[in-house]
Amino acid sequence: MAAFLLRRIGYGFLTVLGVLFLLFVLFFAVTNPDDIARKAVGERARPEVYAQWKINHGYDKPLFVNRNFAGSDLRRYSDTLLAEHYRRMLTFDFGRSDADDSRIAQRLWNGAGPSLSLTVPLFVLGLVAGIALALFVAFFRETYIDRAVLVFCMLTMSVASLLYIIAGQYLVGMLLKWFPISGFDSNPAVVTRFLALPVLVGVVSGIGADVRFLRTVFVEEMSRDYVRTARAKGCGDARVMVRHVLRNALIPILTNVVVQIPFLFTGALLLESFFGIPGLGALTVEAIHGNDFSTLRTLVYLGALLFILGQILTDISYAIADPRVRLG
Amino acid sequence: MTEAMWGVRLSPHWISGAVACCLAVAGCTNDPYPDTDRDAKVLYSSYVEAPKTLDPAVAYGTEEHVITGNVYDTLLEYHYLDRPYRLIPGLAEAVPDSQPLPEGRQSYRFKIRPGVLFHTDPCFTLSQSGRQTREVVAADFAFALARVADPAVNSPAISSFAQIVGLADFSKRLTELRRTQAEFAALHVQEQYARAGGIAGVVVHGERELEIVLAEPNAQILFWFAMPFTAPVPWEAVAYYNGKQGRPHFADHPVGTGPYRLSVYEKQHRFTLERNPAWYGSLPANRDAPGAAFPGNIDARDVAEGRIDASYAGRQMPFLEHIKFYREKEDIPRFNKFLQGYYDNGGIIKESFEAVVQAGRLSPEMQARGMRLDKEVEPTIFYVGFNMRDPVLGDAAGERGRKLRQAMSVAVDAKQYLELFLNGRGLPAQTPLPPGIFGYDAGYKNPYRQYDVARARQLLAEAGYKNGIDPASNTRLKLTFDTSATTASAGLPLEYLAAAWREIGLDIEISSTTYNQFQDKVRRGAYQIFIWGWLADFPDPENFFFLLECQNARSKSNGPNTADFCNAEFDRLYHEMKYRPNDERRADLIRRMRDILERERPWIELYHREDFVLSHAWLVNSKPMGISFPAYKYKDVRPQMRARLRAEWNAPVRWPLYLVLIFVVAVTVPAVRTYYRERL
Repeated sequence: MAAFLLRRIGYGFLTVLGVLFLLFVLFFAVTNPDDIARKAVGERARPEVYAQWKINHGYDKPLFVNRNFAGSDLRRYSDTLLAEHYRRMLTFDFGRSDADDSRIAQRLWNGAGPSLSLTVPLFVLGLVAGIALALFVAFFRETYIDRAVLVFCMLTMSVASLLYIIAGQYLVGMLLKWFPISGFDSNPAVVTRFLALPVLVGVVSGIGADVRFLRTVFVEEMSRDYVRTARAKGCGDARVMVRHVLRNALIPILTNVVVQIPFLFTGALLLESFFGIPGLGALTVEAIHGNDFSTLRTLVYLGALLFILGQILTDISYAIADPRVRLG
Repeated sequence: MTEAMWGVRLSPHWISGAVACCLAVAGCTNDPYPDTDRDAKVLYSSYVEAPKTLDPAVAYGTEEHVITGNVYDTLLEYHYLDRPYRLIPGLAEAVPDSQPLPEGRQSYRFKIRPGVLFHTDPCFTLSQSGRQTREVVAADFAFALARVADPAVNSPAISSFAQIVGLADFSKRLTELRRTQAEFAALHVQEQYARAGGIAGVVVHGERELEIVLAEPNAQILFWFAMPFTAPVPWEAVAYYNGKQGRPHFADHPVGTGPYRLSVYEKQHRFTLERNPAWYGSLPANRDAPGAAFPGNIDARDVAEGRIDASYAGRQMPFLEHIKFYREKEDIPRFNKFLQGYYDNGGIIKESFEAVVQAGRLSPEMQARGMRLDKEVEPTIFYVGFNMRDPVLGDAAGERGRKLRQAMSVAVDAKQYLELFLNGRGLPAQTPLPPGIFGYDAGYKNPYRQYDVARARQLLAEAGYKNGIDPASNTRLKLTFDTSATTASAGLPLEYLAAAWREIGLDIEISSTTYNQFQDKVRRGAYQIFIWGWLADFPDPENFFFLLECQNARSKSNGPNTADFCNAEFDRLYHEMKYRPNDERRADLIRRMRDILERERPWIELYHREDFVLSHAWLVNSKPMGISFPAYKYKDVRPQMRARLRAEWNAPVRWPLYLVLIFVVAVTVPAVRTYYRERL
């Protein structure tokens, strides 16, 4: 197990190095430090202001090769933007935002709380609702309930996320007046008031795909011999479904679910933007709109890191969920 | 009952869960604010873009001036009610008159009010242990101006103060000393300014008098003393808030003297302005200061239309305890929250315009809710510009280019443009000058801004492009419309304009690129047609015509004259007009400049934007003020009325929840029963 983990982490690290290189090439293919500086300090700023801004933000070096140093001098390659990019990202020294000079690490820290306060309940409730509904329709498979729910699922999958948000805000916030249309307050006494609607919208918009997937898994499990045996031994329906079917269906569920956990930190792009939740999803959208390349690079890098982490966590969860799975 | 008749176990947990859900929805509310705010004097507003900086020497955007304009007091300010705009004293005891000096110089002497204190802040311990605030002195204004002149601060207003004697020299000295002396660069910034000798034309006379010496007369300079660029700044705040030891940067922590201080600043999410109890206007000595008490002589129309409550005349300001701003990036939620009463005022979104405004007035539904609609043409000009250095469209093409520009100008219907893209919220422009600015002539009709396709075709033919055909290539004349608008919706107005020119026979290509690429094209002069807008810094014709002065041409000084228009006669008239008082001679100069623009057509003037502001009945003294933002001290709310109307408008509708529950039960129960009946 330890050897497997070390190997996976090693592969993950190599992938991270590759991702960082790609990130660097992609970002500096669409823009260059001079353009970034000009956009940040204004078109009419003096040359020395550009120069100082580039120094402050680490854009004052050549991209790949520093020709100020001789061929054998290591600084020819280490004193470059590429090397600086690797150093900063690998040491989590993300620097300052290109757009407003704020510390990126601080913005990430500030955004993580609101993001998690949305994504964790959304993830848990979505999962619980999906499993419960999938168990329910699997139990009543081939009845009109099953068919009606599947049609409902197809409908929910066919509608764009944005429409759920706008319709949810209009219907629940504007017409029914149950929850605020948008906003956020981290005060625990009122935070649920703001999260109720985005969580509801998120759960409803995502439940269709989840239920269809989970139902298939459950129906397949229900046809196995051990289910018949459990029933023959007198187990009640609820016990069969929850203790036997659900437990044995965990592997495919975990594959689908565990990989999502790290992304809870990166927030929900649309939900946060439309509901005014100052999380990392909203920060990503803002960085895209504002050409804030340093923030965007950091967020993409963190996304890649979290994805790799998710893959490793999935492998570990296999072993925990099913002792038959042998890693190594 | 623990076992239901259908064999499904209904445990107490399930039942209590269902009851809890029902109660949760039954007790829910869409009120986004804490209950403690209910009866408080709080004004709620929203913003779209997060402020970039609150450094008064740098902040230039409207989203920033909403804060800096209320946190920082200025020597002068604009009268809240009078139109055209008029300067009144702020921290100065009077609006100074110019004093002639030898060698054509001119000076303004500001006498500063006594007892003006900075907001309480820990930064003042730098100058004296345990000190929380101190009195404003003339040197604080000199320090603010030195910051504007400091190249490292990168103030966008530096060129506007270029006529202050010694300002440019100070900038150069400062840069040179920093470059050559490492120990100088390590000093606190106020010490650097002192050692660099300060600005010769900013003279401090004792603690309460500031003299500004100009190299040549410039009456417009006074307008800049009504902007936060010149607000007093304590050197302690700049030194203390340096981003080190967990302290924010000065750009995120303003320390001013204004009626409000910034108490909450989560710029991506929300901010709060809190009443400053030690504001100079609260002091008995300043009770009668023009900027401290609500103005008298209120226009009867403002009262009749409900904008201003006449009973406030002479009352001490400010009236609000807090002003809370929440970020709303999306139009629809913002507008809907306004309709629910959770924002006290707001604009009108395009999607709901027809429902809110009918025939230029509030719809009956909105009137029934007690809302008010205020309109004001802003000091703006939106225009299409031609690159006057372009060989086809510009000066080099001579009369042919001129006729081509005239033809394209006549082909554009600004009225329809406004109807299509702005719900008519604007005034078709005839010249760069909007209403309310000296020199604006409501009776003037620019002959090249009267939409007439037949005439446009004729002018095009006179230009040598009959039916748009370029005789050199025998194909339609191809022109490029350059833009940084990359989204479909942002591109629609450009498509409209292109279609208007295609209608007269031209071949227009819209070249849509990223902002950086577009700016690069502008820098290189590799563009033909562009669309641009300008919101005036101050209400003077100079602040519009300078956009067409040759010295400000993009190719010459990287200035704001993007059309690269250079006309010697226009420049001569402009320079004479620039420093003159508003007299008949100045009006005549403006008419002559207008005539040159009419003929030369470096721009197609499209429109002056009109601000439509909706306010709820409980918001008092809210008058649109497009030129300035320190207006919150004049406003007030009636919290009891707001609480009552909000409760009335936002009672939750619960029956759909019960309907859904009944539906679920009605669908599920028969299925479950059938299933068990068949199994058993």
